[in-house]
Amino acid sequence: MSRLVTLSDAELVQHCRAGDPGAWNELVERYSRYVYAIAIRGFRLSDEDAEDVFQDVFTRVYTRLDSLRDDSALRPWIAQLTRRRCLDALVSKGREVPAEEVYSVDESTDLAEVEEAFTVREALAGLSESCQDILDRFFTRDQSYRTISNELDLPSGTIASRIARCLGRLRDQLEGRNDASEGSRK
Amino acid sequence: MSNDYLDLRVGEFLEQLSADEGAPGGGSAAALTVAFSARLVAMVARCSGESWGDASGIAAQAFVIAERAGALVQSDATAWEEALTALRHAEASTADDERKDFQLEQKLERAAAAPLEIAELGADAAALASLTAERGAGEYRADAAAAAALAAGGARAAAHLVLVNLGVRADDPRLARALASDQVAHDIATRLLESGR
Repeated sequence: MSRLVTLSDAELVQHCRAGDPGAWNELVERYSRYVYAIAIRGFRLSDEDAEDVFQDVFTRVYTRLDSLRDDSALRPWIAQLTRRRCLDALVSKGREVPAEEVYSVDESTDLAEVEEAFTVREALAGLSESCQDILDRFFTRDQSYRTISNELDLPSGTIASRIARCLGRLRDQLEGRNDASEGSRK
Repeated sequence: MSNDYLDLRVGEFLEQLSADEGAPGGGSAAALTVAFSARLVAMVARCSGESWGDASGIAAQAFVIAERAGALVQSDATAWEEALTALRHAEASTADDERKDFQLEQKLERAAAAPLEIAELGADAAALASLTAERGAGEYRADAAAAAALAAGGARAAAHLVLVNLGVRADDPRLARALASDQVAHDIATRLLESGR
């Protein structure tokens, strides 16, 4: 695993500003799915339009990173850039976007789900590789306990408990994030 | 008629189950039984949160298993109906048609995949029932044992449907997996039911 993967957003931004090309790659890797998810799930853009949004958003991130005032606010900044570009894309396609939609789109269920999914993904990245692996097998790849047991060479009777413990750690990670974000707002 | 059995009221689903049509049939009933089992496990785990640190993680897994089994109530019926239609066409046809044979094989494959998945989910639900019986709150242990019995019933019914599928041979690894799942669920249910006497 690259050392850059473990950096916080704020640290990653500092590495990008220092001209580390690996940091730019990590930033794009970290946020590419996020940008696509907002474009496709949140705004129902076509793959082609989502690709245009993707290119434009990361070009703007690259050229305007110095304008980011709070380095830890990388994610909301990218979200804002993406939403604006998605609305531009809709308008350029001839679709009228009423003012209320511009403001209400932030609260749409799909965007909220994208945000939630990304928050969970970030929290998952903070778990051990073995936890990430076993949660991915059960929840994403739909593997049975027997398959997980065979492939990881673990006693089958321990799989459910291992998953439960990893979920507990994931919850701790998420609660830690919530505590931190609430603290930062005070 | 609803396209999704899970949207029906329980009474309506039972009506459809007893109707003079092929589907929903044994596979759908087995899937629903496994979903019942997993939901029961979730209930026991959620009621045991104060005394069991892993309870919420076990409940989360039970919900996932119930969701997967619930989806199979419909998809098993659809796959079975399609296989039955293809089988009837093949029997009515006298021509030696390789394309038709291939299509029938594909439909039978799909019809075997759903009960195999149900059997494996049954084994997983039984494993969770075992944990909740051991670690959950004492007053709910009988419910955990009941959940294991339901899981075992669903797994056995589903494994039987894999066994009798015309596209599955005796040495087919899918059959071995289905029977192994049946055995796991059965052993757990037997142990829990006997320990509760």
